[in-house]
Amino acid sequence: MVDVAVIGAGQTKYGNHPSGLKGMWAEAAEQAFASVDRDFEPRCVDEAFIGSVAFGGGQLGNTAALLTEHSGMDGIPVRRVENACASSGFALRDAWMAIKSGQADVVVAGGIEKMNDLSPERRRFWLGVSGDTEWERLAGLTFPGTYALMARRHFHEHDSNHDDLVNISVKNHMHGFENEMAHIRKEVSFEKAQSGFMVADPLTLYDCCPTSDGASAVILAADHVVRQFTDDPVWLRSSGAGSDFLALHDRPSITQVRATQQASQSAYKAAGITAKDVDLAEVHDCFTIAELMATEDLGFAARGEGGIFARNQQGVRNQGEVCINPSGGLKSKGHPLGATGTGQAVEVFKQLRGSVEAPRQIRDAEIGITHNVGGSGATCAVHVFGRDRA
Amino acid sequence: MNEVINWKGYLAMFDGQALMIQSPFMLDDSIAFGADSDYTTMAIAGISLMQSRGINFATVRSLPLVEAQAVKSATGVTVLSGDDSDEEDCEWNLLVGEEATLVFTNDLERNLGFHGPADLEVLDPTFAGDIAEAWSLELKASHVSQGAYVSEAAYLEGASARLNFMAQSHTTGLVWPPRQLDANGKRIPAPSESLTASATVESWTKLSAAGAPSEFALRAPVLGGIQTVFVRFDQGPCGVFLVADDEQYEPEIGDKVTFAVRQIYAQEGLIRYGMKAIPVRG
Repeated sequence: MVDVAVIGAGQTKYGNHPSGLKGMWAEAAEQAFASVDRDFEPRCVDEAFIGSVAFGGGQLGNTAALLTEHSGMDGIPVRRVENACASSGFALRDAWMAIKSGQADVVVAGGIEKMNDLSPERRRFWLGVSGDTEWERLAGLTFPGTYALMARRHFHEHDSNHDDLVNISVKNHMHGFENEMAHIRKEVSFEKAQSGFMVADPLTLYDCCPTSDGASAVILAADHVVRQFTDDPVWLRSSGAGSDFLALHDRPSITQVRATQQASQSAYKAAGITAKDVDLAEVHDCFTIAELMATEDLGFAARGEGGIFARNQQGVRNQGEVCINPSGGLKSKGHPLGATGTGQAVEVFKQLRGSVEAPRQIRDAEIGITHNVGGSGATCAVHVFGRDRA
Repeated sequence: MNEVINWKGYLAMFDGQALMIQSPFMLDDSIAFGADSDYTTMAIAGISLMQSRGINFATVRSLPLVEAQAVKSATGVTVLSGDDSDEEDCEWNLLVGEEATLVFTNDLERNLGFHGPADLEVLDPTFAGDIAEAWSLELKASHVSQGAYVSEAAYLEGASARLNFMAQSHTTGLVWPPRQLDANGKRIPAPSESLTASATVESWTKLSAAGAPSEFALRAPVLGGIQTVFVRFDQGPCGVFLVADDEQYEPEIGDKVTFAVRQIYAQEGLIRYGMKAIPVRG
């Protein structure tokens, strides 16, 4: 079967972006096209998949057609992919499958979200649309609330506490400080992160990712055309995905995410690796507790030991066996919902090619993964990238 | 002197033939509703108390201050309005008081000599005024959530599960909230069994007003946030619930709770009712 490589990747800076949807997408696509080593033009693209929750309701229908029209890719098959915050993680999976199936040779996977052009009240409407509206939302829950329930239960069942979450926050702010594309480029002290404003007890402001605008795009190519574009590809070795019940109360456990376990296990198996082989992981830390639990579900820490992992600084850049969120993660780099999954792929692509800002570079990185979660864990996509083809 | 019973967060007096139920709060020398109660929630509590004492009836005659659909879903009892009650054989009457009180009686000629307790909890006037104002704004037809949205049809579809804990009986155990097909692709039978209103807190959170869903945006600042518990029912299923009335309650994992119907929020002029958790004291 055909192998798939990443030949280019680009993104906007995350944050409060001055452009609208069209301008943001054009910027990300332009960056991705320009990152391809040899001549590349939009006409090389056979198909495109663009993840978006369509935040705020603007251009809900035919979003992908509008965006490709404004990035020189009009006329090709396109579609918007929606799986909440995992939208572009699944767009990436769809793009990978399009090449694997032999239907396309060059495919763009991307994502976009414009979140900061809404009033605070309308933003709150939209931040809840991906949760369980009928039961959880009528119990007063938005995502800070659902993740707070997970955190408190994890503290109860295992050796973990809020200080472990503070360590994750401090680490991700430190990683993101050097990232020119990050939304919040600010280091925070342990003491400051420990005493943040309470958002959803026990989660404080420093446990929550920001509300970001952003767009990201990666260009995938089939093995038989890769050399037309680059001699330095990053191989997308596997794609894993899973799902779980939408609402927490329907799940057997609220201290682990089955979708992540399914996605990572299938991705590792298909790539022929284990968690021990991973050098860097872009992990979906919409809330710090999400990263703590993901370190367990992805196999970096034993079940119940995610707190100890964070306490021992095991995810810090060039300090442990694996670096967790070298980009700063959602916490610092930002979280433009639909753009997050392919934004993670942009980071891994650059890390494996050794092209991030020098202080952020993971030494001798060979294998990186992305972990993109929808909502409180109803959907998840995990991708394995490698310097080597297999 | 009649015995005063604490029931579903209200005070009830029952003499075997009639029931008086009232709010435990007072404002300006009058009995007043708490933050999430109205005549409907109190009527549901009253009927459930009578049912627990073996007094069952299919219909009750009442004024339109009581929302019939919610009462029916929660208790199975049909509320007849003044117009249609003449044609029905209706034994029980529901009398709505001027203050936050209700009386159920099957003898309108009878002298009701209930004496409620004098030491009611006094509501802060500012708090009560702000909550009343928030509900008033929320009840306007123009107040529509534009994001996550539970339509009237969706709300009513789940009403028996939401208001009476009706669960589906399945080979895997009781299923609640209701689900469509099982892992074999077979339709799970309609809800037929009610969960007992007894559960244990497994986790909890308190959302700040700034983090509360838009449906609660008007009241959350007045309440100082939104408190939610994740519980496991004694029969197995789990659920998430707001905490009723008692904003001072700080849950702990392992606490036992019971439940009572309360106002959840209002949208497009319709109040959404649902169960809220009440800590079991002592």
